[in-house]
Amino acid sequence: MSENAITRRSFLAGSAGVAAVAATVGFTSFGAWQSAQAEEEATPGRTDTVHTLCNACSSKCGYTAYVVDGKLTKLIGDPNNPNSEGHLCARGYGYSQIAYSKDRLTDPLKKNAQGQFEAISWDQAYAEIAEKVQEIIASDGPEALALVQDPRPSGSYYCNRFIAALGSPNTYTHGAACNLSKVSGITQAIGAGDWVSDVENSAMTMFIGRSYCDGIRPSQVAALKRAHENGAYIVMIDPRCSNSTVFADEWVPIVPGTDLAFVLAMSNVLIKNHLYDAEFVAANSVGFDEWAAATENCTPQWAEKITGIPADTIERLAAAFAEAAPAASIEPSWRGAYGCAYANSGETARTVALFNTLLGSWNQPGGALLTSGISAGKLEDPRFAAPPKIEAKKLGSAEYPLASGSMGSAVYAGEMAKTGAIKGMFFYYSNMAAGYSNPEYLANAFANLDLMVVCDVQMSETAALADYVLPETSYLERSELPEFGGGKVPYVALRSQVLDVIHPNTKSCDQIFTELAEACGVGQYFEFTQEELAEAQLNTVGLTLDGLMKVGTVQFPEKAFVYGKQPTFNTPTKKVQFVSEACAKAGLSPYPVWIEPQDPVPDGEFRLVGGKQAIMTHTQTANIPELMNIAEEYGLMRPWINPVDAEALGIKDNDEIVVENDLHSGTSKVRVTERIAPGVVYLPSHYGCTVPEQHTAYNKGLRIMDFVPFHIEPAYGSTMSQNTTVKIKKVGA
Amino acid sequence: MANYGMLIDTKKCIGCYACRTACQRQNDLLPDEAFIRFEEREIGTYPNVRVQHVPLQCMHCENAPCVDVCPTGAARYGTDGIVEVDQGRCIGCLYCVAACPYQVRVRNSETGAVDKCRFCTVNALNGTKTCTCVEACLTGCRIFGDLDDPDSEISKAIAETGAAPIAGDLTKAKIYYVR
Repeated sequence: MSENAITRRSFLAGSAGVAAVAATVGFTSFGAWQSAQAEEEATPGRTDTVHTLCNACSSKCGYTAYVVDGKLTKLIGDPNNPNSEGHLCARGYGYSQIAYSKDRLTDPLKKNAQGQFEAISWDQAYAEIAEKVQEIIASDGPEALALVQDPRPSGSYYCNRFIAALGSPNTYTHGAACNLSKVSGITQAIGAGDWVSDVENSAMTMFIGRSYCDGIRPSQVAALKRAHENGAYIVMIDPRCSNSTVFADEWVPIVPGTDLAFVLAMSNVLIKNHLYDAEFVAANSVGFDEWAAATENCTPQWAEKITGIPADTIERLAAAFAEAAPAASIEPSWRGAYGCAYANSGETARTVALFNTLLGSWNQPGGALLTSGISAGKLEDPRFAAPPKIEAKKLGSAEYPLASGSMGSAVYAGEMAKTGAIKGMFFYYSNMAAGYSNPEYLANAFANLDLMVVCDVQMSETAALADYVLPETSYLERSELPEFGGGKVPYVALRSQVLDVIHPNTKSCDQIFTELAEACGVGQYFEFTQEELAEAQLNTVGLTLDGLMKVGTVQFPEKAFVYGKQPTFNTPTKKVQFVSEACAKAGLSPYPVWIEPQDPVPDGEFRLVGGKQAIMTHTQTANIPELMNIAEEYGLMRPWINPVDAEALGIKDNDEIVVENDLHSGTSKVRVTERIAPGVVYLPSHYGCTVPEQHTAYNKGLRIMDFVPFHIEPAYGSTMSQNTTVKIKKVGA
Repeated sequence: MANYGMLIDTKKCIGCYACRTACQRQNDLLPDEAFIRFEEREIGTYPNVRVQHVPLQCMHCENAPCVDVCPTGAARYGTDGIVEVDQGRCIGCLYCVAACPYQVRVRNSETGAVDKCRFCTVNALNGTKTCTCVEACLTGCRIFGDLDDPDSEISKAIAETGAAPIAGDLTKAKIYYVR
């Protein structure tokens, strides 16, 4: 347990000091006393179990936490949770230790004139933040305020409601640095942002740049394994031979950023040879003939030159797809190759959706399933009514009109901080400064803000730049609003509080934003507790909070997906759109055509690709000792290069190398491996922490975004996270 | 009395470290104390390459080198074929660490004593039905059971797959690998 943890004995011993502090800054915690009391009174050896949701990534897997004498011990995945299916990944086990991290934020912080953080009271933090918010609204209007969040069940609700109550439309998710282009591009084609590839029942499934076994959701790993056992033909298109290739029949390396050419060429093969589902296409789509004509030149021979994939491989894979259809699909992917990576990412996503249309695989067993979810119904209680509708449009929605409205382009918000159009920014559980785009650019942009407020559990790079840092309880010490989820069987799951609050001066997100709203004069929109709202939401789907707490997850089999159901496409034409008016209006071709992903790669330079490792999420887990120990023990922070490139540069495995470009230069040990395509450097996306307060993660590894310029994907608004090149040399060479 | 052993199917192992981190939680280990280590092999050359992950942990040898060299009897054969470490008797001399050919014994940086995989199923409680690494595995690549019972799942799987100890007859190891 953390040395800062409160036991009743230490609480009593320190109570004089606490009282003294309380007298000056006005904080003390009855909860801390309660928890100290509970700890003392608990029977030794007493075990409590709580169903809750993991927070190590956004999958939010359900598990049972075992708490012995107040301390978290083991975690066991809940079999009835559709994401965990009874299992957790390494991140889930490891990240649970964030509760006990020595590097937790424990008090509200304010940056003083010398640029140092000082602990202040919550009351002071709220009052000063509210004053600045009112100043900004008075001078520039509420549109000069923005918020960026990495969505979590309570965070999404409370943060967005807070900003809306202030009158600003500018709420953004981390999507611009994650899956914004994928979701937005797919939406242009089929009117939904995602589908579920029915991998385990398929005859063939292709993954492009996504690895279920590296960015893990346990149920997906299990499905991939079953697919392999069922004899599905699994193909991985990826410059990196990922761990998912364990269950693949074929790894096809590709030049990074050229997936669009590859899918266009496979489409060309299907159309040219009349191997596509002409009946489905005729009945369910618009604009096919125009697109078909446009793809006539996208031959496999043409694509070979761009992608590095032999033309006969492209012919063979397209023919195999036709053979396997409709029990076949390209999996929608996530961040990987076209979530936010290149100038052509959104158009790649659009094309992938169109390819599955050629296969006629929508809603077919083994195909691409358009599943639905469940959401809370209308709440009658007037306390839950939405704040007044905001007429102003989200900043960026005109410049990047294809960006999903619910995500928005957070990187554009960064640019607006730089220009001064945005003057006050809030961040919830978002490490934008390190992970969304070029860190130097973003630091300069945020320095321009009149007000920067960050709510987090540890001192992130973003928090380090803030004027005010608000310390949240860890996910194990708070309950949250219910998570309403979709998939083959819709479900509702609940994060429940597992541990007593460890640091008495931390607060949960709902409490922080409720109190901040009160201070800002918009408390009338928050006159309810999180539990009351959760209860009301659950009642609309026939559940109660107590009931859900007892089981953790409830599935709705009566709303389950049914194979063969006629797909509905929620596009403007209500059909699959091979041509999109919105794309044309946004300056793109109405039908997807080849777009160069990035500037030509100069001779001797390498394309840089990122990608997840199974033990890490974004930059949020690197400070967990259990996980960082793995990274260090197995050299997981090393960039990968192919032996052919290594030999040409006189580099051997584990040599110290320099990775550099115009933006940044750094050194690291290197991994020389057959698992990466020549001409490519893979650099994991989790390392290179620059905040000394993260004692485990600080200064370990390279930070990929340091090598990426600040730029934004046209029309879609993503960060183009892999649109860059680097040089490599041996240290001293 | 049982004779416990384990089977690990490396053809299903994705090298995700879930077993290792789950074990740390189940057994309340320090952050730098892990009972499972991994080796990764690349088979073939680009682009015709495949990857193999091999998790390694205490093999609970029937002729354990660690037991042979332990001067205090801390390393010993327990019941059901499980090799144990009596933490109270361990003096931290690290002879066993040097003797173990599988390099799977680790020193506890707080107590100085040596520890390793306990086949934790035998004292598993509270929802854990078998060894935590077996339960935690995302791909079901591990089977735990009684090697002396010909009808056990593990005995049948060994017969069916031809699984064998990682280093042949280097020791009489009781973890069998499908490779």
